[in-house]
Amino acid sequence: MQTLRIAFRNLNRQKKRSFLLGGAIAFGLLIVTLVNGAAGGFQRNIADNFSHLFGGQVFIQGLERTASGKRVSVIHDDAALIASIKDAKVPVERLTRSSAFLGTLMLGDRKVTQQVVGLEWSGDNLLRDRLTLLEGSFASMNNPKGIIISRKIADKLGAHLGDTLIVQLRTVTDKANVGDFQVAAISHDPGLSDSLSAYGSLPYVNTLVNIGPAEYQALGILLGGRGAGAAAGRGTDADAARIYKALSTRVAVMDRAAKTSATDPMAAMLKNHEQNPGAAMFSSLIKQAGDTPWQGVKYRLYTIDDLLSQAQLPQMVGAINGIAFIVLLVLLVIIVVGITNTFRMIIAERTREIGTIRALGMKRRVVRNLFLAEAFFLFLGGALAGLGGAGLIMGVLRLMNFGTGMFALMLQQGRMSFVLPAGQTIVQLFLVAGLTLLAALFPARAAARLSPARALASIS
Amino acid sequence: MNITFRRPAAVRRATLLATLVVALLPAAAPPAAVWAAPDLPGILKRIDTVTNFATDFAGVYTAYVESPGESPVTMQARMFRRDTEGKFVILVTAPSAQKGQGYLEVDDNLWFYDPTSRLFTHSSLKENWQSSDAMNSDFYRTNYARDYSVDSWTEGTLGSYPVYILELKGTNAEVTYPWKRIWVRKENGLILKSEDYSLSKWLMRSAYYPTYAQIGNQFVATKMLFVDELNKGHKTQLTLTEPSTQPVASSTFTKAYIESVSR
Repeated sequence: MQTLRIAFRNLNRQKKRSFLLGGAIAFGLLIVTLVNGAAGGFQRNIADNFSHLFGGQVFIQGLERTASGKRVSVIHDDAALIASIKDAKVPVERLTRSSAFLGTLMLGDRKVTQQVVGLEWSGDNLLRDRLTLLEGSFASMNNPKGIIISRKIADKLGAHLGDTLIVQLRTVTDKANVGDFQVAAISHDPGLSDSLSAYGSLPYVNTLVNIGPAEYQALGILLGGRGAGAAAGRGTDADAARIYKALSTRVAVMDRAAKTSATDPMAAMLKNHEQNPGAAMFSSLIKQAGDTPWQGVKYRLYTIDDLLSQAQLPQMVGAINGIAFIVLLVLLVIIVVGITNTFRMIIAERTREIGTIRALGMKRRVVRNLFLAEAFFLFLGGALAGLGGAGLIMGVLRLMNFGTGMFALMLQQGRMSFVLPAGQTIVQLFLVAGLTLLAALFPARAAARLSPARALASIS
Repeated sequence: MNITFRRPAAVRRATLLATLVVALLPAAAPPAAVWAAPDLPGILKRIDTVTNFATDFAGVYTAYVESPGESPVTMQARMFRRDTEGKFVILVTAPSAQKGQGYLEVDDNLWFYDPTSRLFTHSSLKENWQSSDAMNSDFYRTNYARDYSVDSWTEGTLGSYPVYILELKGTNAEVTYPWKRIWVRKENGLILKSEDYSLSKWLMRSAYYPTYAQIGNQFVATKMLFVDELNKGHKTQLTLTEPSTQPVASSTFTKAYIESVSR
């Protein structure tokens, strides 16, 4: 205890030097904590945003082969699908039925190519939580011909609330069709791709793509019981596997193992997202179905993880974390060299003092521990300041709205969020503590080995 | 001396009755659809018969594309058709930016060749030709008898020509437009005007065929005007010159030919 008190007092004797050394440790930890927290937040937000934009973490699409051999993306009756989900005994928070098409939205002379997703707006809707409306309201989607378009699309078309947009598209059987939408709301761009950002009502989209009012094209399953931010988290694959197993006992399913980069929906979409994401996804669905003829509707199941892994999101986050860790190591090497040099200076300055306390009977071990305790206090102060500073900056960043842009998909309604795995932080703290003590160990041992007589005889 | 003839009363009554009958007959007559329905499938078949060639056909098309706020663009392309086998080749010869691009319809597949990438990509008859208001199918043989059924019809005149006005419904998904209204000249079965509708019966395009050239027993439109009804102000005029029914080498309808002439 006495050692700790002396160590603390020694640090206070050279406040400026202690502050700089602790500050260096704090800075290193602050940077790494911020980067790791932001990377984790980006990963979670992208998964959450995708889950909400696409309507779940597990998706089922149907593909029917018509008598003429044409393949049509449609789910006529989902009773077997719902029964399979119940059989699988997975926690389901919400089911989202959707249909979609890629069409040309027109207003006057202006036009844009746009993917329009039809959703049910009568009850709860996942988009309500995630989509930030700049103008208009979700209530306006009671209009069966209402459409929510992004700011960017509205600007391209010169569209305002209430404007009528003509849409030109192709039906599920590739027939030319034309319809009209009324602009019900204008949203923030969710980023990544403009083509993900227009929403209409399911019945009207069904009419336009020429499928029945009770039919749809994709069923999104939002798995429940996993708390906020668990969209891409644990258990999605396991739950999807259970649903797939139950599904395969009731309906014809496409082999999940048969998925390749050519048939993967997200791979196809990312490859062609600027040109035609809807067609790319449909093309991948056809490829996965294979050429062997089948009767009725064949179903494909895929997960948000399948989508995100194809988007190389985990790899991206892993790379960010890796870079952050390398930055931490570089900072630590600099800090270690700094601490070693500083402690050498300290020992040189305090040689006579060391000689005195050694002459008074203090053991070598205690002298060594005295310096190690000083180093530990430096680490402790630095760690507290670093983590505290990181927390403060995170808090400020969370309050800032970064709005739209290509990074919006990484944000939670325009704001940053941070996910800091406790294990990772503890490992980093132990590493910094260990290296700080290691840096101080050699000068401390040198101090402990000093002969009291020679130390006292030294000229300061 | 003025002599006045006065018809007997019986004659006057008979004349009055005849006048009334003549006057009221059209009103009492059943509509044309009931009492004089033409052979509607026959009309569609006749359109195909008079416009599709039993021989090879070739010609040069000049497209004049107008869009609001943009300078008009003139394009030229040489076309070869073999209707009996459902094949055609179109080679773009102008402007220089598109020169060398080609279309090949063979085995019910339409391929588009880009000399820049030297790649053939799959295209569709339903797509616009070279971003104009003409569709790729406008260059292809017609198959009205197979692709459409007559949903309703009436008679009328277009200009000075008596025509059948047929409302057609697509019978398969391969048609470019699910609904059409066509003005067919009674005299020779040629389409003078067409309105092309979406599945929701929204007018998408109007097409006018003011002039035809007769080659043997067949007719080919030498002037076509396509008006985009969704994008106001967009229109394309196609003019055909150098029509020919001379035999075309079979090797013309191959990818290799398009590649070789595009170099």
